[in-house]
Amino acid sequence: MNRNLGIGLTLAALGAAASVSFAVDAQPGAAPTSAPANPAQAGDVLPMVPLAKPGVVTVQKRDGDRFHLVVAGHKFNTRAEIEKYLAYRAAELTLEQKASWFTFIEARSKGDTAPEPRSDPTGRRYSFRMDYFRPAWRYKAGGAPAWVSWSPFSGAAFIADPKGITDFEVSADIVLHKGAMDGADPLAFEAQAVADLLINQVSPPE
Amino acid sequence: MMLKRRLMICGAAVALSTGVAAPAAAEPWVRGYVVNTYAYAFRYGGRPGFTRGSEIEPGVDCPHGRSSHFTTDAQLRIALGRQKWRSQQEIDWIIAPPGLDQVRERQGLRFDILSRAVSYRAYKRGIATYVNPWAAEDPGQPEVTSRIGEGFNLDGKVGARDFVSPAGEMGIDNALYRAWGCDAPWRGDGNAEFDLRVRDSMRFGLFTMVLRISGNQDPMNDSDAIVEIGYSPDKIVKDARGGIAADYSYRILKNAQYTKLRAKIINGVVETEQVEHLHAPRIAWVFSQNGDANFSKGKIRLKIAPDGLSGTGLIGGYRNWRDLYAEASLWNNAGQQDIGRHQDHVALYFALRRNADGMYEEKSGKYNGISTAYRITMSAAFVVEADEPMNIPIHAYDLWRKKAFEAIKANTIRGIETRIPQDVPPGNFEAVYPRLERTIKDLPSKDFFLKTLDRPHYPDGVGMDEAGNLIDDQGNCIDKTVVCGPP
Repeated sequence: MNRNLGIGLTLAALGAAASVSFAVDAQPGAAPTSAPANPAQAGDVLPMVPLAKPGVVTVQKRDGDRFHLVVAGHKFNTRAEIEKYLAYRAAELTLEQKASWFTFIEARSKGDTAPEPRSDPTGRRYSFRMDYFRPAWRYKAGGAPAWVSWSPFSGAAFIADPKGITDFEVSADIVLHKGAMDGADPLAFEAQAVADLLINQVSPPE
Repeated sequence: MMLKRRLMICGAAVALSTGVAAPAAAEPWVRGYVVNTYAYAFRYGGRPGFTRGSEIEPGVDCPHGRSSHFTTDAQLRIALGRQKWRSQQEIDWIIAPPGLDQVRERQGLRFDILSRAVSYRAYKRGIATYVNPWAAEDPGQPEVTSRIGEGFNLDGKVGARDFVSPAGEMGIDNALYRAWGCDAPWRGDGNAEFDLRVRDSMRFGLFTMVLRISGNQDPMNDSDAIVEIGYSPDKIVKDARGGIAADYSYRILKNAQYTKLRAKIINGVVETEQVEHLHAPRIAWVFSQNGDANFSKGKIRLKIAPDGLSGTGLIGGYRNWRDLYAEASLWNNAGQQDIGRHQDHVALYFALRRNADGMYEEKSGKYNGISTAYRITMSAAFVVEADEPMNIPIHAYDLWRKKAFEAIKANTIRGIETRIPQDVPPGNFEAVYPRLERTIKDLPSKDFFLKTLDRPHYPDGVGMDEAGNLIDDQGNCIDKTVVCGPP
C-alpha cells in the first residue's frame, strides 16, 4: 500500500541552469533551452513512506562503514513486501549518511547451497539487482516461544505456512560507499535508484 | 534566398576567409566551416565484421561486443519475467502470438506486440516505462571497459575512472562513452547507425551547424583568436558526389544555440577556453530532438588541415543526463526502437545516472550532468551574419510533433524528480499506440492483446495519430473522411 503525503512545496527548477554566463560578451538572444524547467507543482502529492513505529527498525553501526539493519514486526504480509521495506531502509540510510551506494553482505554459513552471485557473464553492469538482496530471517510461529532462523542461502524452503508467523525479524548487513559505484558487483546497490523504485511500494510492517 | 549561391568574391577575400593562401602574420583573418558529421566521440575498439558466438564485433572497448537486448526469445522471457504481475500465458503469447501465421504482415505485427509489451515494465501495471524508467528494475547495460577515450579533462583532475586520450593525455572525462559506448546503434567504426542518421539528416537539411574562427595573427598560430559556433538556417549544399560543396555561404544565428569563445591556435590546433555554458546545436536526426545542447563547463578543440579547407574537432562538456535520456528515447516510440535496434532505454537510463559525474547539486547531493564529447568534421565555408535577426524556422508538421515531444520530455523529467508516475501526453506514440490498433485487426488472438497489454488511454478526440489527426480511444480517426495513419 502506498500512502502519499501532500506537500505544498515547489521544487527548484530542474534541468538547465537558469543563469547563463558567456565567455566573451553578451550573446544576443541566447537563452537556456536545455531540459525544460519542470518543477513539481504546488499541491503535488509527493510519495512518502510513513514513519515506522518504535522498535520496527533498528540500525547498528559496525566496523567502518558497515551497518546492521533489522526490521521487526508481528503482522506478516508477504516475504517480498518486508524484504523490500528493508531494502528501502538500507537505501535511505545510505543517502542519510551522504554515501551513494551500498554493498549487501551475504550471511552465508557452512553447508549453504545457494550459488554465489557472479558478475553478469555478458558483461552487463547494473545499478542494482533486487534478486540479490537476500536478508536473513528469524520468526516465531504457531504460538511457539522459540525463534526459528531461516537463511535464503541454506537451500531450505521458506516457512510453509507464513500466516502462522506471530513475530519476525529480517536483517541485513551493508557497507556504504561514496563515489562511482561498481556496476559489475552483483551485490552493489545504487541507493537513489533503489529508493526510487521502492518508494511507491513499501510501508513499515506492524 | 540570399544563400545557396556562390559568392562572387575576389581572390584576396577568398584567401582571407578560407586561408587557402594564408595571409602574412599580424593581419586580421577569418575562416568559416560548416559541420558535415556530428557524433558522440565514442572510440571503437572492435574488429569490423568479426563475431564470436552471439557477440558482434567484441573489442577492447566492449569485450562482449555491442548490446544485444531483446535479441532472442530467451532474452525476451527474462525481460518480461521481471514483471511479477505478468502471467505465464501473457509472456508465452507475447513471444508467440497465437494465430500469427494467419496474418499477412506477421513479422511487423509481432514486432509491434513486443514493442507494446516492453513499454510497460514497471513495478505494477499501467505505468508507462519509458516515461518512468525509474519505476522499473535495471535490466543492465554493457559498458565500455577500455581505458582509452576521447574528450577533455573537464574537471582538471586525474581520476581513477578517467580515460587516457589516444595522444596520451590523462584525466579525460567522457562518462557518456562508458555508459553508452557499447549500445548497438551508437557503436561502430564510422558506420554506427545513429551516427549515419545524424549525418544524413544534417545533409538533407534537418539542421546546419557552423563555426567561424577569427584572429589578428596567423590562422595556424594565433594566441588571441575567437571561435564562434552556432546554428545556421541554411541547408548544407552538397556537391555532385553527395559530399559537402566547398565555399558556400551560411548565415550564423546568434540565438540560443550560439556561443563565442576565446581560443589559442598552435600549429593549426584550436583550443578554446572552458566556459560555463557552451550553447550549440544538439545531435539530432528528427526535428523533435533539435535544440540547444547546453554543455556545462564546455570547450572546443579543432584541428585545422594545413590547407584550411577542412578540419576535425571535439566539442565537450557536461550535459544534463535527463535531457540526454529523453532526447535519445522519446523522439518517436521507445519500445519499437529498443526491439528493433537491440537497445534497452531502461538500462541506458540507469547507466546514465550511475555514471553521472558533473553538475553537482549541493542541495540534493546529486550529479545532474554526465561528461561527454561530440566529434565533428567540417568543411570550409563562408560564415556570414544574417541580414536581419531571425529565429530557427519551424514547419507546421514539426511544430505539433515538437510540442508533443517537449510535453513527454517534461513529464519524464518530472517523474524522475518527484517519483510520481507520469502519463504519456497525447501526440506521442509510446506503446505503439495507435499503430497496433490498426495492425492487429487480422490476428485471431487480438482481443487478448488489446485487453491485456497496457497502453496510453485518452478521451475521444484528445489522442492523435501519426499525422496529427484526432482519434478516439480505439485509435479511429474522429474525422471519418480521413484515413488514419502516418502522413
